[in-house]
Amino acid sequence: MLEVKNISKSFYRKIALDDVSMTVNSGEIFGLLGPNGAGKTTLIRIINRIIEPDKGHIRFKGDIMTQQHLSQIGYLPEERGLYRSMTVEDHALFLGQLRGLSKNDVKRQLEYWLERFQITDWRKKRIEELSKGMAQKVQFICTVLHEPSLLILDEPFSGFDPINVELIKQELIEMRAKGKTIILSSHNMRSVEEICDRVALINHSRKIVEGRVSDLQEERKMGLYAVKFRGNMIAFVNALWTGFEIEDKDILGDDRFVVRVRMRGDSSFEDLLRVLMGQVKIEAAWEVLPSMQDVFIDLVKDKKEVGHEK
Amino acid sequence: MRNSWLIAVRELKERIGTRSFVLMSLFGPLLILLITYILFAFGGEGKQQWNVLIADPSGIMENKILANEDKSVRYSFADGYLEIEEFRDGQRFQEFDALVEINEKVLSNKLVFVFYREKPSVRMQTRVQFHVERRLEESMIDQFTKLSLADFRKIKQPMNVAFRNAYDPLDESSDKRGWVGFFFGALIFVFIFLFGMTILRSISREKSNRIVEVLLASVHPRQLMMGKIAGIGMAAFIQFFVWTIVIGAGLFFMREYLFIDKLDASKFDVVQMTKEVQEQASLDKMFAAKEYNEFVELVYERVQFGTMITYFLLFFVAGYFFYGAFFAAIGATSGSESDGQQFVLPVIFLLVLSLYSGYYTLENPDASIVLWLQYIPFTAPVVVMVKLAYGYGPGESYHLYLSLIFLGISALIMLMIAGRLYKNGILQFGHRIRMGTLLKWLKKA
Repeated sequence: MLEVKNISKSFYRKIALDDVSMTVNSGEIFGLLGPNGAGKTTLIRIINRIIEPDKGHIRFKGDIMTQQHLSQIGYLPEERGLYRSMTVEDHALFLGQLRGLSKNDVKRQLEYWLERFQITDWRKKRIEELSKGMAQKVQFICTVLHEPSLLILDEPFSGFDPINVELIKQELIEMRAKGKTIILSSHNMRSVEEICDRVALINHSRKIVEGRVSDLQEERKMGLYAVKFRGNMIAFVNALWTGFEIEDKDILGDDRFVVRVRMRGDSSFEDLLRVLMGQVKIEAAWEVLPSMQDVFIDLVKDKKEVGHEK
Repeated sequence: MRNSWLIAVRELKERIGTRSFVLMSLFGPLLILLITYILFAFGGEGKQQWNVLIADPSGIMENKILANEDKSVRYSFADGYLEIEEFRDGQRFQEFDALVEINEKVLSNKLVFVFYREKPSVRMQTRVQFHVERRLEESMIDQFTKLSLADFRKIKQPMNVAFRNAYDPLDESSDKRGWVGFFFGALIFVFIFLFGMTILRSISREKSNRIVEVLLASVHPRQLMMGKIAGIGMAAFIQFFVWTIVIGAGLFFMREYLFIDKLDASKFDVVQMTKEVQEQASLDKMFAAKEYNEFVELVYERVQFGTMITYFLLFFVAGYFFYGAFFAAIGATSGSESDGQQFVLPVIFLLVLSLYSGYYTLENPDASIVLWLQYIPFTAPVVVMVKLAYGYGPGESYHLYLSLIFLGISALIMLMIAGRLYKNGILQFGHRIRMGTLLKWLKKA
């Protein structure tokens, strides 16, 4: 769907992107993750042709990307605004027409989204009459009005209230199911990793890794398992024998705990469950996979170490 | 193109929907009409009592002028021929406000000069003209006809009484029409300033509320800038159109109902008038009827509105795009709204300079510097309006066309420069404008 090839960009002496390449496949949610100032927004602006790269190129559906392709892209920037004196409908008409839709198409699409979000009575409201959360919904609607095949959301959940975050997440999952491609960028990796299929991690203007979320987690997992149980902590500790080591624990209250356990020797997850059964009441147990943030920190550490060794 | 149009239409809708636009469209022309009315009604006021010296070396008037006394004018007769310089500078003539020169051939050339020290009111001019004319008619009848005075008045030819400033007898500094040009030039200045500031504010606002990034994902920065300038320009154009309609209707109304040209030949009833002027009381009526003062004459008779408005629009459009590009560039490159306003000062300075150039042209329309000022795009819109009002001499109209072409080309160049600054500056926030940065942005494609 989208191929970013050797993109470099600097603003005078500051390098914003250094030879970044990545591929976004059709029908996936792709996470562009990294700390603030890593170069994510610059890359997104280059994809949207808002700024031009110094080097490299971008292919969209196999072709070198041009201004014409922009009508197939929906973009919700991190810093987003609306014209305060315009009504929701006028706003949709203006932005929808800029994206190439006819008036009738905009109206039809707007109708669909207003009904979907159950906000049909907002149509004639001025933006200044809406709360921040309401305006966020309008911004999202204006981004997807033209049914883009690629949706790019820069820090999509920053500033959104939790209800809207959940709503937007569900919409994104549904859009993926309909075959749309979505790029999410965020410095808050936890907020997006659960819905991303693949991610690229960017740090200091360079891409440090790209791959499937599950693969990256798998590569970096540390043999940790978590058990959520009700009962006595002493009984839990006593049940474990030398094959296991308690890493840490969370006390949930009401005699409930989550304990993370590391395997020793040849011990397996099944062995752990077997020794605990009958000693405590197990409510849940799972393999602890590293978060994207852990993966990122791990990778950054590795790079530094490699750098030091050199 | 389509996107620029969409942006222009949005800008236009936003502008014409505001209360300030509606108020400005309505009260702007009404204010101008009010000022015009005041000038029409009271502009001709002058000295109430006039002391007039008549130089009549041939004795045509036989040292007589009025049968009945008119308290507002006192006439005296000079002995023999009197030079204008002598009247102007001679100590013994200082008590006189005006000199009426009756030349030997007055009865054939029908030309009388009145040299005044201070410009008289139109009512006073009408009185003097009327008195002199009547006396000369009597002399004419005595000398050449056997007709009665009443019959003679039926066939008479009008007397040309020319009022001249004693200090400028050749009437070289008449700048009435120039003022009209200056008014049009100042109007361009006002519109460019008001709508230029609107461009600046609109861009700064889009920058600060960050919607600009959403727009830039759909349109090229140059399209966005052009759409914005064009849309706000369309609002200015509509406002000017409303002004033209309201002022035009107002002037028509005043002409038809308030300042009727009763001395217009088509409305002049000689018999009725002659009867009326037999009585002194009727004279006042007539003078009142001729409250058709110089401003009225200027507005209704002297200004070629067709030409002025056509060139006004051409120079306004070119001047607006030229200056608008500056405002757009400042709006896009400034880090904050207040920063932008600070950088507007040099542009305002240039605008004021152009207004002053217009005034300079008004005072010295033929100065050689004016020739250059009309080619400099900063000053051209105002200067050309003043020059145009004076009228270009035969074979000189090429100055006008060249000036318009230069201004148009300069506007295009400025739009290209502004486009580059806009593109590189529109997504920069919170910085301070530095000349070095601007130059870097200019160099960057």
